[in-house]
Amino acid sequence: MGFISPWFLAGALAVGLPIYLHLLQRHMTTPHSFSSLMFFERRTQSSIKHRRLRYLALFSLRLALLLLLALAFANPFINRSAASMTGEKLLLVVIDDSFSMRAGTRLADAKREALSVLASKGAAERAQVVALGSSPRLLTQITPDAAELRAAVNSLQPGDSHANFGEMGRLVRSIADSVRTPIDVHLISDMQRSGMPASFSEMALPSNATLTLHPVVTEAVPNWTVESVNAPGEVGDPKKAQVQAVVAGYHTPAAMRMVSLAVNGKTVDTKSVAVPAGGRATVNFASLDVPYGLSRCEVRIDSADVLPADDVSLFAVERSDPQKVLFVHEPDDERSPLYFRAALGAAAETAFTPDSVTTDRTANIDPTKYAFVVLSDVVSLPNSFEDDLRKYVQGGGNVLIAAGTSTARRGRIPVTGDAILETRNYSSDPAGFLNVGDVDASYPSLEKADRWSGVRFFFAVRVNPDNYRVAAKLTDQMPLLLEKQIGEGRVILLASGLDNLTNDFPLHPVFVPFVEQTARYLSGIQSRSGASLVDSFLQLRNAKEQAVSVEVIDPDGKRPLSLKDATSAQSFQLTQAGFYELHLANGRHDLIGVNPDRRESDLDVIPSDTLALWRGNPAAGQPQASTEVQTQVTTQPYSLWWYVVLALLAVALAESLIASQYLGTRREEL
Amino acid sequence: MQRYLDPSVLAGISGLDLVAKTVVDGFVAGLHRSPDFGFSQEFAEYRAYSPGDDLRHVDWNVFARTERAFLKRYRGETNTLLTVLLDASNSMSYTSHSTTKMDYARYIAGAIFYLANVMQRDAAGLLVFDDEVRAYIRPSTRQGQLHRLLSGLENAEPHARTDFAKPLVHFQNFLRKRGLVVVISDFYESPEVIVRTIEPLHFHGNEVVLFHVLDPKEVRPNLGEPAILVDLETQERMEVSPEYAQNEYRQKMDAHIADLRDRARRSGLDYFLLVTDKPLDAALREYLTIRQGRF
Repeated sequence: MGFISPWFLAGALAVGLPIYLHLLQRHMTTPHSFSSLMFFERRTQSSIKHRRLRYLALFSLRLALLLLLALAFANPFINRSAASMTGEKLLLVVIDDSFSMRAGTRLADAKREALSVLASKGAAERAQVVALGSSPRLLTQITPDAAELRAAVNSLQPGDSHANFGEMGRLVRSIADSVRTPIDVHLISDMQRSGMPASFSEMALPSNATLTLHPVVTEAVPNWTVESVNAPGEVGDPKKAQVQAVVAGYHTPAAMRMVSLAVNGKTVDTKSVAVPAGGRATVNFASLDVPYGLSRCEVRIDSADVLPADDVSLFAVERSDPQKVLFVHEPDDERSPLYFRAALGAAAETAFTPDSVTTDRTANIDPTKYAFVVLSDVVSLPNSFEDDLRKYVQGGGNVLIAAGTSTARRGRIPVTGDAILETRNYSSDPAGFLNVGDVDASYPSLEKADRWSGVRFFFAVRVNPDNYRVAAKLTDQMPLLLEKQIGEGRVILLASGLDNLTNDFPLHPVFVPFVEQTARYLSGIQSRSGASLVDSFLQLRNAKEQAVSVEVIDPDGKRPLSLKDATSAQSFQLTQAGFYELHLANGRHDLIGVNPDRRESDLDVIPSDTLALWRGNPAAGQPQASTEVQTQVTTQPYSLWWYVVLALLAVALAESLIASQYLGTRREEL
Repeated sequence: MQRYLDPSVLAGISGLDLVAKTVVDGFVAGLHRSPDFGFSQEFAEYRAYSPGDDLRHVDWNVFARTERAFLKRYRGETNTLLTVLLDASNSMSYTSHSTTKMDYARYIAGAIFYLANVMQRDAAGLLVFDDEVRAYIRPSTRQGQLHRLLSGLENAEPHARTDFAKPLVHFQNFLRKRGLVVVISDFYESPEVIVRTIEPLHFHGNEVVLFHVLDPKEVRPNLGEPAILVDLETQERMEVSPEYAQNEYRQKMDAHIADLRDRARRSGLDYFLLVTDKPLDAALREYLTIRQGRF
């Protein structure tokens, strides 16, 4: 017997307190005043005897209470043989059902091996079947029922997730915490090297667990796969859209592979590529001719290997008409529309067409027909157009305003009406320019455009930033990019021009993503990705879309979300490879191609010495194929804390009852 | 002051007239009509002059007409003289509930003062004592007397021990006229000593009433377990057992009460036991009813 925290035993010294109270202060009784003792006589002997007898029980209970309290804190334990604790073991059968188990007959072999392990267990021995993917799934409860266990094994279907042996170690450790019996872990897997976690310690098993490995393969198998596909999620002009696919071979000889691009099940292009031995090759498809709306696309190779399921990579593309953008500029300003148009056109996934209009021709233009409006350094606008713009913004429209030297002459910002408090001409400074200082990378316009170093600003205007969100500042803390909410719409103010005169911003690469992101932000189109990985999570709604129903249709055509989850779930885990259809909370329909993690395509196995180390037997050079259950004879500390606490509670209850009796008596006293 | 004049107490005893048992001095107006004659403005009768009468009372007009000397006699308006002797020793501060014995005694005295001074126009006075005379307010019917009496009650705080002999001797020196003397105390003294000390007042022609004020726990103590009791007057400590308090103490207290009652009545003193958990008006009503019946 020992104590986990023996220092707490010092608390037992507190027993001196009841000793002092009961023995040393035994004769101390609270005196009661009485009007006259004329008719009283002393009867000391009987009273002391009476009191001593009654207090003895309370004294003993209080001593026991303090001793048990100190004992509970000290946490006593006894060393017992782990096997002797219950005399039984838990058989944990873990079957790898990750994507790589689809290769050949691996899963069938694994199930057969699992059944043989279960057949060898005793009738009363308890067991549990677990499927191992990216996270372990308990297929049964802990049960001695062999029929239930066999049914769970037989029902196992190949999965699409990526195996992680670290998760298995975590599961066994948590089971060992709750089940204080020895655990025999049988792992039946292809022992894929890519399934090992970053740290070997994550795979470590607790001391009362023994690991028996059942590898269904012992050496690497060649395999080709479409490792990745780079395709736009949205297509405005099919001729400008490109698809780039990477074909990889693992433990493969050099070979020619045919790579085909299919749209909605129809092959639109096929190319041949030479894949070097164990290497990669890139294939480019120059166009992506997809119909309007959402299209299911795939890149496929002819591999003829053991894992045909990874020969295809899925992605979804949406084609829509380009949206119009109204670009208003002064008649003598020909630079800014040029740069803006070039930036929009250079963006790979843009679907915007700018309409450039000079300020004197805006009188009859209706801004509501445009996705958003750009006012590039305008001096004056026709009153009717400016009124229309204000109503447009109030009603939810968005405007980008670039305030250069012309706007500075006007003295106020169009649409918002904010006064220009100051103009700063940095060309008169010794350096001649200022750079961008602080950038709020979380601002949508700057998410992909946060590399502003080297951009020189020669001129800027200053407005009162109180009602603005400042997204970027110059090095002198002058606000450069600001946003203001007006009604339902918003106005983004660039405190400089777009014309390469007040700055050299349009000449820098960061200008293109800035224009693209700003256009997406102002038009309300979120960037979409047409492909994702199995086990990744899909964002279903944002903070403004709570309690709005969403719908998810999995590759099997089923709806995996319950009615409750459909209105409340924030995200959804993609568990299968294939196309998922989404009806999002914002009303949009979406399609996403889900592919297995390509690490599963590398069918290399864990070296035998690593497996031996994992089993805890480094001397063994070969994986253990035996299903014999070994009993670990080790002693385990068996905590007595619960028993001490139960006794403590019982004593505390008895002490309360007896003490309350004394209190009850005292109420009747004089 | 109002707490001594509890309306419920006054309502309970207003139907009872405080009729003095003994005519002390003079004539009494209203209900306290005295058989003695005094000298006031209300003419009663003529009496033939006899040698030794005061010539100032001779009606010279009658003498002029009849040449016989007559004395004019008038109906007196002298009231009963009430004096309350209040024990303010420490033992009177004991209580087992909300009202101490001292408070209870104050209530009784206050109610009697109001009844006597306001309603019956009696001259009322107060003597507060423990082992000394702590305060003395001479009996009077002057305006503001009730206020003085009640203030005297208010200022009477328990201290020291009870000693009847010294204060009562002192009181007898003050007492010039016969009247009604009310003694309010817990009488923690030998009944023999108490009666021997008080009965001289009766010998002087006073009507003496003893109000014996006790707390219910003094009459029937109930100890749950052995306890140390401290005497409020002597500060003596004594450990007593519940069995003693349950049996022997009660017997002794009952014997004490009975002895005091018997001795008082044998000496012509009225005795009443007042337990502080009984309603105040009931106690007064009981006393006054008996007094009325005896009158």
